[in-house]
Amino acid sequence: MTELLCSRSPVTNPLLEVDNLSVCFDTGEETLEAIDNISFTIKAGETVGLVGESGCGKSVTAHAIMRLLPQPLGRISEGSIKFNGVNLSTLSLTNLEDIRGSNIGMIFQEPMTALNPVQTIGKQISESLILHLNLSIPKALQTSIEILRRVGIPSPELKVSEYPHQLSGGMLQRVVIAIALSCKPLLLIADEPTTALDVTIQAQILDLIQSLQYEMKMATLLITHDLGIVAETCDRVLIMYAGRIVESGAVADIFDNPSHPYTQGLINSIPRLTTPSKSRLPVIRGQVPLIKDYPKACRFENRCAHRINKCSELSPKLEKISKSHQVSCFAWKNIQLSRSI
Amino acid sequence: MASVLLEVKNLKKHFPVKEGLFKQTKNFNQAIDDVSLFINSGETLGLVGESGCGKSTLGRCIVKLYQPDRGQILFNGKDVNSQNKTEKKHHHKAVQMIFQDPLESLNSRHTIEQILIEPFVIHNIGDYKWRLKQIQILLDQVGLPSDSGSRYPFEFSGGQRQRIGIARAIALGPELIVCDEAVSALDVSIQSQIINLLLDLQDELNMAYLFISHDLAVVKHFSDRVAVMYLGKIVETADSDTIYKKQKHPYTKSLIDSIPTPDPHCIKKRIILQGDIPSAINPPSGCHFHTRCPKVMPCCKINEPAMRLHSSLHSYSCHLD
Repeated sequence: MTELLCSRSPVTNPLLEVDNLSVCFDTGEETLEAIDNISFTIKAGETVGLVGESGCGKSVTAHAIMRLLPQPLGRISEGSIKFNGVNLSTLSLTNLEDIRGSNIGMIFQEPMTALNPVQTIGKQISESLILHLNLSIPKALQTSIEILRRVGIPSPELKVSEYPHQLSGGMLQRVVIAIALSCKPLLLIADEPTTALDVTIQAQILDLIQSLQYEMKMATLLITHDLGIVAETCDRVLIMYAGRIVESGAVADIFDNPSHPYTQGLINSIPRLTTPSKSRLPVIRGQVPLIKDYPKACRFENRCAHRINKCSELSPKLEKISKSHQVSCFAWKNIQLSRSI
Repeated sequence: MASVLLEVKNLKKHFPVKEGLFKQTKNFNQAIDDVSLFINSGETLGLVGESGCGKSTLGRCIVKLYQPDRGQILFNGKDVNSQNKTEKKHHHKAVQMIFQDPLESLNSRHTIEQILIEPFVIHNIGDYKWRLKQIQILLDQVGLPSDSGSRYPFEFSGGQRQRIGIARAIALGPELIVCDEAVSALDVSIQSQIINLLLDLQDELNMAYLFISHDLAVVKHFSDRVAVMYLGKIVETADSDTIYKKQKHPYTKSLIDSIPTPDPHCIKKRIILQGDIPSAINPPSGCHFHTRCPKVMPCCKINEPAMRLHSSLHSYSCHLD
């Protein structure tokens, strides 16, 4: 399935390879492990969704890849991040700057805070063009206008000389996308790109990202909490809970055959247009534990309806249950069984 | 047939936009323009629309946080704007509100007990001992541990804080609760817990809800009837199944189309609306939606469509048939 979906780029080597990555935050009093040993790959041209609730470490993952963790609090304590074979976790800052913004672009959640309020839109887009592509200032501005036109901003020749406060939220997000895509990156990291936007604008932005992605054949890591967006845009999905990846697989695997109790709970608890009105939704009981209160073994153990004794003693490893589907749960067979009944 | 609890008639609220050195009123933000709706007792009316469409303003007018410019709000048949002092106090008791951000709407320097006892103190109900007992019942009803009373809001998670807000809202046995984006800031797994809690409380206490949200899927799931708002006007109202299956207004249709479906096999042919939501300060002429409407006709730019009754519970405002 995955191979089929990725047919537009038959590259076998992964573009991004995250291997046993752990990220720690030193607060002075204690060390908090925000991400615990996660591994995943993204192939060229592929869209991978990273899903989880707030505080599960999805944004930290993105920031770790870009080496944008808050300094000096956050650090990569273990593991490696390889982009096209280059280890980003140990790269010097000067070399890193060549990759950031040119080979890897990033879209942030809040377009209002991601842009500099005292610089014109045109200047902010030309910045990366001048830096990475060595364009002259007038040429860069000309290119900025073309990019703005491509992301669907009306009358871009006027908009380049405007400031962020003069544009609406949806238009600003288009500007942020324009900056991220200005150097035609190989990988785009989109951290909740539409969460701050209205639904009709969200549909426009997702459509835009997809068509640009297809056009430029770039890979995307889409971070979101919305399973609907994942189902509509991604090839593969990683489900994160409390700093760990608990399930990963092709979109069809995850939605047709969710095998981790957390994934199942998430999918079942979304109100849909098709569910009868005023019916009670199935819920995941309890709440996400605080980072310092994570259970020792399986982190979902205290909320899980399928827990067995083993769950509080051992951490389950990610286990391959089909060609494209991995899950970290001791009881996944029972869970699949209980689903089919 | 349930009796009408709340009726809003031709409500209008315009906010002055002040500009310049002397803060002169240059313009008006037409937050709500000629809105009419009703809520039966024990029923849930969902109010859905994008940011800036006036849905929160309408909610705030109903709980009397804002004074409307024109129009009537009838609660139990009585106009709330001509109430005397006792009637006003009764209105505040009978109509409560749950806010979007539970941390901002709870006093961070008060314990949960102090927060929950306040409604009883203000309305002078019961003695101290009775109030404490009542708080225990409330905490139990909303599913909070019984020792929460002595703790402060920051000690709770987002979902639990929202439960505190709900406990405060139901404390005085209201007839109507205005839920302004009450579940929007919560995570998916917590959101479903709170939705279930609100539904259970409604069955138990027979309250009506005005459920305001931007998420049509949540609104459709939660409500008996749904009203869709666009730029200060209600464009369509119907029961929630009709809104989903037989909607008439092109805006409702495109709202439904833009919700991403959590099913990878469902391939949608969606109409994506072009352009941004126009500003409410200077709304488009004629039908407010004509600048983005996929089915716009010449008459839409000139004439404002009137609300049409399609069936007893279904009305919409569009020139299309």
